[in-house]
Amino acid sequence: MLLWRQFAMEWRLYSRDRVAMFWTFAFPVILLVGFGTIFRDGGGPRLSVVRVQSPAPSPADAALDQALADLQLKVLTLPKAEAEARWSKGETAAQLEPSEGSGYRLRLNSYLMAQAGATAGLVNQAWLVAQARLSGAPEPGRIPVQVESPGHKRSTNYASFLLPGLLGLNLVSMGLFSVGMVNVSYREKGKFRRLAVTPLPKWVFLLGQVLHRLTVTVIQAAILILVGRLAFGIQNQGSFLDLLVIMTLGTGCFMAFGFALSGFAETSEGYAAISNLVFFPLMLLSGVYFTLDAAPAWLQHAVAVMPLAPFLRALRAVFNDGGSLAGHGLGLAIVAAWGFAAFLLAVRRFRWA
Amino acid sequence: MVPSALRIRGLRKAFPKVVAVDGVDLDVARGEVFGLLGPNGAGKTTTLEIIEGITRADSGDIEILGLTWAEHGREIRARIGVQLQSTSLFNKITPWEALELYGAYYPKSRSAADLLALVKLEEKADAYHITLSGGQQQRLALALALVNDPELVFLDEPTTGLDPQARRSLWDVVRRMKGEGRTVVLTTHYMDEAEALCDRLAIMDHGQVIATGTPASLIADLAIPSVVELTFEGAAPDPAAFAAKLDQAVERRLDLWEIPTPDPKALLPRLLEAAEAAAVPFQQVHVRRATLEDVFLHRTGRSLRE
Repeated sequence: MLLWRQFAMEWRLYSRDRVAMFWTFAFPVILLVGFGTIFRDGGGPRLSVVRVQSPAPSPADAALDQALADLQLKVLTLPKAEAEARWSKGETAAQLEPSEGSGYRLRLNSYLMAQAGATAGLVNQAWLVAQARLSGAPEPGRIPVQVESPGHKRSTNYASFLLPGLLGLNLVSMGLFSVGMVNVSYREKGKFRRLAVTPLPKWVFLLGQVLHRLTVTVIQAAILILVGRLAFGIQNQGSFLDLLVIMTLGTGCFMAFGFALSGFAETSEGYAAISNLVFFPLMLLSGVYFTLDAAPAWLQHAVAVMPLAPFLRALRAVFNDGGSLAGHGLGLAIVAAWGFAAFLLAVRRFRWA
Repeated sequence: MVPSALRIRGLRKAFPKVVAVDGVDLDVARGEVFGLLGPNGAGKTTTLEIIEGITRADSGDIEILGLTWAEHGREIRARIGVQLQSTSLFNKITPWEALELYGAYYPKSRSAADLLALVKLEEKADAYHITLSGGQQQRLALALALVNDPELVFLDEPTTGLDPQARRSLWDVVRRMKGEGRTVVLTTHYMDEAEALCDRLAIMDHGQVIATGTPASLIADLAIPSVVELTFEGAAPDPAAFAAKLDQAVERRLDLWEIPTPDPKALLPRLLEAAEAAAVPFQQVHVRRATLEDVFLHRTGRSLRE
């Protein structure tokens, strides 16, 4: 009864905080719709190459243009001056220009090597094709490529990769900010002290808070999944029960993180620094927005034993590929172990005043 | 026998840099308004927070309504009311909601409507806490301290930072608490507040109780019921020579001399004559009753406001 009252009051006060509501419910949707739309074609943006116009176009130029188009490369043909201006602004990943010796030269932007490297491969293929066509030789054969998600269930787009990442990100920010930050500020401003002089058992207050955050998470997830389905046709490929199990485990783990970290900061400012130290590496390195396939092995190993990466892997396996949790025992155990360790730390460090 | 409201023996609390409470004994009877008077940093708030169960003492015994924290924590919390020095609530909770919510934490509670009427906040019942003025927030904090119909109420500097009118209206609420038979323990660094509200006082300084008694007895104990003041325009001159001539202690404050005396009637003619003879450039003469400020000054050699 008292717990229900506490829970209901949390919701009532929360519903008056429009800014918090916006960040919690609308922001992930905006991210999903925004990035999902920008990268709709899947995989990432289409590769493009800037082509510097030849002073006198030759048959070779025409054949190369044709071959580039056949290989689905986006070609932007510009006069030399304009191409140079664009290059120096850093917007060009790869620039193909006429050259004295072999006929062409390809310049790659060292800042954009992921795109530029792939583009270079395609440009060279296109040149082989163009040369074969010019000389009447048989065209070099190409190995067919198929794009699909790791579980082979279906070919998916970037939005369906991103959606589980955002679900995970929501849990992390819920734990670190809505639980950890909020409790530090309660302690700092003396809200806990005022509660401490009443007979209200402290667990009722904390459980009321945790239950409120849990329901927020569920609603948030439901909204994201619904928007994903309506806007991008993303469907949960696995069982909702498995999804619930993973989400509950993740929520528990990251809320425990919030409680544990809140024991290490005296002030909100101090907490902001500590939580960012945890939040940004987790967010950037754990595969919320992109995968770490190209990162050094030691970093990949390190990230694999952090809680967010195995959590996301299991979540994507279920949500995107319809897998079961059976193969993710180790990953889920890592998440649970982090959650348990954080919980123990929280119990040791958590202070009311 | 009904146990006393509060009985404290040998209370001590040291922080890393300072001994905040250094061997405090207190006895508060049922139904009285008891004041802890002292300058900032005297240890009043720490003493109160130990009694309220927020801070743990290093040593000492506390009995609250005959109960101890070790054995009866929940019962004590249910029977005392607390106003902290600053009461922090949720920004967007209304007084009505706060009183209802906190009332639900207790086995018995008073109605929000009654409490709002008591502290004259009916009109702000549905305003967000953050929109209330300092005085209104303080009155709400007072109402919250009464939400469980407590036998013993602790108020930590209830009027600090309020304008004179808001202070008077808070004093009325405290008097009404006493009228309802509650015991009130409050801290203050305003001597006028202590004189106006308290049946008995403990004067604290550097973590120790330096005097206890009724305001009247504390002043009477000074044996100098009156003080003659000579005020000057601008800074007061050095009174040493004059004091020697008058054969009477003269203390210099910013712009006045204070001459404590048990018998102003006898002193005044002598004083005026001597001042005339020495051509002391004073502006006015006041004779006033000694106050708690003088008691504090006499005991510590320092002013309450320093």
